[in-house]
Amino acid sequence: MTRFTLGRLLALGPVLGLVLLIIFSLARIIPGDPAITLLGPGATSEQIKALRDQLRLDQPAPAQFFAYLAGLSHGDLGKSMKTGQPVFDEILLRLPATLELSILATLLALVIGIPIGVLSAIRSNSMLDHVIRVVSLVGVSVPAFLLALVLQLIFGIYLGWLPVSGRSSPYIIADPITGFAILDGLLQADLELVVDALSHVILPCLVLTAFLAATLGRFVRNMMIEVMTEDYIRTARAKGLAEQAVLFTHGLRNALLPAVTIVGLKFAEMLGGAILTETVFAWPGIGRFMFEAIRNRDYPVIQGATLVFALLFMLTSLLVDLVYALLDPRIRKRMS
Amino acid sequence: MANLLHFLQRNALGAVGAAMLVAMLLAVICAPFLASQSPIALDMARKLASPGAGHLLGTDYFGRDVLARVLYGGRFTLAIGLGVVSIAFVIGVAFGTIAGFLGGIVDMVIMRFVDAMLSFPSLVLAIALAASFGPSLETAMLAVAITLAPQFARLARGQALSVSVKPYVEAAICIGVSTPRILFRYILRNGIGPLLVQASLSLGSAILQTASLGFLGLGAQPPLPEWGADVSANLQYVREAPWVALAPGAAILLTVLSFNLIGDALADWFNPRKRNLR
Repeated sequence: MTRFTLGRLLALGPVLGLVLLIIFSLARIIPGDPAITLLGPGATSEQIKALRDQLRLDQPAPAQFFAYLAGLSHGDLGKSMKTGQPVFDEILLRLPATLELSILATLLALVIGIPIGVLSAIRSNSMLDHVIRVVSLVGVSVPAFLLALVLQLIFGIYLGWLPVSGRSSPYIIADPITGFAILDGLLQADLELVVDALSHVILPCLVLTAFLAATLGRFVRNMMIEVMTEDYIRTARAKGLAEQAVLFTHGLRNALLPAVTIVGLKFAEMLGGAILTETVFAWPGIGRFMFEAIRNRDYPVIQGATLVFALLFMLTSLLVDLVYALLDPRIRKRMS
Repeated sequence: MANLLHFLQRNALGAVGAAMLVAMLLAVICAPFLASQSPIALDMARKLASPGAGHLLGTDYFGRDVLARVLYGGRFTLAIGLGVVSIAFVIGVAFGTIAGFLGGIVDMVIMRFVDAMLSFPSLVLAIALAASFGPSLETAMLAVAITLAPQFARLARGQALSVSVKPYVEAAICIGVSTPRILFRYILRNGIGPLLVQASLSLGSAILQTASLGFLGLGAQPPLPEWGADVSANLQYVREAPWVALAPGAAILLTVLSFNLIGDALADWFNPRKRNLR
């Protein structure tokens, strides 16, 4: 397993190098002065000069790239054009909000997605199966911002049950320990804090869950149908095993293994999707930070957030590979 | 073709998707007859009017007819979907086929680059690209196409790898056919089936991604009617006039849903196990 882990880490090196090169090149592939294009019409000459200095546009491209790498090595992602604060600190401040939202949404998606996938598979081609299939297709087809809007209208405005924006009520004075609002509330044994944080997280969480649960449900259904035609299932039935044991011990276990990959990759993809959800719900995470940066044409922030999302994505894929190898010895043998 | 029609008959969901798409195409083509106004005609006296006789889907903050904006916006959206997938197809398939056929260092360089592109959440890469190119519909389309291209490259490489060891390709190499001709006439032509299926499956996500960029202000710029941008422009009036934002949003949902229904059916169609199952 150690050899496998080391191998995967080494393979990550060249890809990380290329990812950095892509991010670095983004601003520089445009013809003309990148500082002027990036800042758009209406930028003052001081702003243009500031960005030009920050991107070191007066130096040759390789020197710019190495200076960028040198900066990264000690956590320097540049300074925000709007606030003047280091982008790294600003992102770190907002990371817990995004992670809290995504992790909760993933857990909820597992709880919803797996059972509906199994149900759909064992009642394959029944009315229930068709209904689940259509609903999950709607789940993967609905734009996140539309679902967010509809939930806001129904639960926030018409019914008035849940808050429609932000992460806590204005009267709540929280003393952040971990930065994860619900966890902080639990640590301080403050029920009001926990309830307030939960009431704020439900709607944005549902938006992210919808997509993931639908994807997972569809995947589990297809895998389950495929697994149930395998020889070992026939053997299990032939030796007189109860149908329940066939379904869960032999069927679901094998169908869920590849689902690890889907959940991992979609979790990483969801971090990107959080940009839309966080924007609609004014959720103070990296996604909303990136949206504000687009509005303000704050290029260092866009660049920094892109890198953080890419790193989180690569880290998740690595974890998925490791977990998969841990669960399936065949993979471990083949890869190492 | 007759086979496909027969299959659609038994695959109800695919047929529903196809019917939705045809209805949408007809509505969009007949936009001048269905909507009495231009999508950019202002009428400040009737701003945020409720859906009713004059305006079936009401009007927006500038008194523009929402139905007209949805219908004309549909023209853009469908063209965007096709345009984005075409660009992604050409870029991805070209690089993938070359990588698979030539192999060696070319293959390694191209595929490592593809791996790197796939290390970004697709929406994030599209945003970063669109933000550096400058906000406009064309750059948003290009940005989404670039993020979709690696999927085509991977698939095309696999196809090229399996086709290039076929005896007829070896024969072509032996009689001295030029490399570009081999790539086009032998490799691409014989491996294009799954690539076209992938293209049809990508249409929905292409539309969804471009609309998302529009929603974030990186796509179509006002007053161009584009569904994503229209939802975001009307967010602030959602309390008093929800139809203004919901109508273009619902239009995106229905379009993407119809493409996904068709894509699902196509995937079943190309999976012989499932085709025979029914």
